Amino acid sequence: MGILRLAHIDVRTPDLDLATAYYTDVMGLQQVQRGSVDGADAAWFKCWDEEDHHSLRMRYNPRTGMDSFTFRVEAEDDLHDYEKKLADYGCQVSRVSKGEAVGQGESIRFEVPSGQIMELVWDIEKTGNILGKHNPSPVPPPDMPGIAPPRMDHMLVNAEEVGESARFFQDVLGLRLTEQVLDGNGHQLGVWLAGRTNSPHDIAIVNGPNGALHHWAYWLDDWDHIRKAADTLAYNGVQIDQGPTRHGVTRGNTIYFFDPLGIRNEVFTGGYWVDPDQEIITWTEQEFGKGLFYYENIVAQRFLRMHT
Amino acid sequence: MSDRILRLQHVEIRVPDLELCTAYYTEVLGLIETDRDVKDGVDRVFLKCWDEHEHHSVVLREAPTYGLDHMSFKLAEQGDLDYFTEKLQAASVPVKRYAARELGPGWGEAIRFESPSGHLVELVHGMERLGNMLPRTNPPPRPEGLTGIAPPRLDHVFVMAEDVEAFTAFFTDILEFRLTEQILANDGHQLAAFLERSHTPHDIAVITGPNGALHHFAFWVDEWNAIRDAADTLAYHGVTIDVAPTRHGVTRGYTTYFFDPVGNRNELFTGGYWVDPDFEPITWTEEEMGRAIFYYHRQVNEKFFTVHS
Repeated sequence: MGILRLAHIDVRTPDLDLATAYYTDVMGLQQVQRGSVDGADAAWFKCWDEEDHHSLRMRYNPRTGMDSFTFRVEAEDDLHDYEKKLADYGCQVSRVSKGEAVGQGESIRFEVPSGQIMELVWDIEKTGNILGKHNPSPVPPPDMPGIAPPRMDHMLVNAEEVGESARFFQDVLGLRLTEQVLDGNGHQLGVWLAGRTNSPHDIAIVNGPNGALHHWAYWLDDWDHIRKAADTLAYNGVQIDQGPTRHGVTRGNTIYFFDPLGIRNEVFTGGYWVDPDQEIITWTEQEFGKGLFYYENIVAQRFLRMHT
Repeated sequence: MSDRILRLQHVEIRVPDLELCTAYYTEVLGLIETDRDVKDGVDRVFLKCWDEHEHHSVVLREAPTYGLDHMSFKLAEQGDLDYFTEKLQAASVPVKRYAARELGPGWGEAIRFESPSGHLVELVHGMERLGNMLPRTNPPPRPEGLTGIAPPRLDHVFVMAEDVEAFTAFFTDILEFRLTEQILANDGHQLAAFLERSHTPHDIAVITGPNGALHHFAFWVDEWNAIRDAADTLAYHGVTIDVAPTRHGVTRGYTTYFFDPVGNRNELFTGGYWVDPDFEPITWTEEEMGRAIFYYHRQVNEKFFTVHS
């Protein structure tokens, strides 16, 4: 029983066509479906190496925001076990039946302590990556538009009480704490948590307003791809928030930037292998600048204050 | 439930010249010597990569021949030792159990058994932890002053077996590895198989060849540029490069192959992809085997198939 990895994020956007143009032409995702959700226009997207039906759902809404985020569990039986654990913790858990959501079967939904709606699923419609399973080329076709990351990697949400959220994700959901930032009083300002990816993070939680989405990140294979992504972003006039640079926390190489409607995206590579019994890494408040942006050593205010 | 086998923990290899090999593994590859011992009258040197936390990932053992003594995989929990002992015994595989430190310094509690291909396999729990070379408070992303190539960690091992299908069945049915890719001959039998526990394309792979043979073991580097830098370091030191930097079709990895001073093949590897537990395996056909192994050149040098240790 356990949380495997991030599966998909569902967001709202006030301009679905503009967002679609950005996520397909600049980010280089594939639009897999167009339709409607609760009467609003919606579109589903995925990266070229993802085998799941989608990793991003966007639906029209006058206000930008996050509907929910979904993690895949390790095995089919896990949903039942998590339903009990979540109920014991005091969460209202609702079951979503097969057929109610596009691209997946049965799932459970609940509110995390910081107010975001989280979903757990095992049964995902596998539509395959673009390479196939028979003598596949190791690379996608060279004419793919945009940045074209192979897959979504992780996300970061805000919470007023980071410590409470960290305990929830560790004790109830069984994620593993890999790194934390502590203030002078020993309170957690930020935590980085991993499912079963043996990586520094599948989700991170940083102090901020409850319910907020800070960003989600796409994986790239190396630093050179991060540089090329920055070229693509700049060429297309995308607003870059930070980078290309290096994180102290996670050791990752990164760029942060905004989609046309203000949602922060990241491209990320690097990190390190994490055994389940690895001792966690702690950052102190006075070194937080380096923890965030190792070269610049700044506690960037826009980075900490702007969210969705 | 336990995660069971997490990843490759270490390889112990035989080397006819311990000091020469120690010099190569520490100064050219850039591993760190953590210990030495004498076991049954034979000298051993213990090595680890800079980002590894445990006592060793490579053990060199003085011996008249070269090759693989054994490979060891890390278990998530102590109870996994009993779990796999029962599974192995139920399949009539003899299992030996060893207390912590019985097999050497820093060693955890372990079980050992033979695979159908005659390889000695170990599962271990509770290795001594020395830490990586960085503090746990405000760590920089990497240490300064590393020597040689200095890969952060050991990645996978590649062995040979006369009966690849029996090897695959043993590793999947009993040890619960998952098949990610395979190369099939035209008559449908498996020529090579790639198996994982870490959600990467492989922690161990096997190709048709003599039982008990080692094809290579590989260290992880973070990206393609690091493969090129490593090739510069290898060439500078006069190391025999078997395959210059290139790309695999299988695993999608970037790679360079080379030999240690006594002829054990090493690899540096990066790339690959994420693997879900219900990943549908990828199949390569015999006529595409060249592209599967070396994607750019579409052919495999004869040495790559015939030279092993």
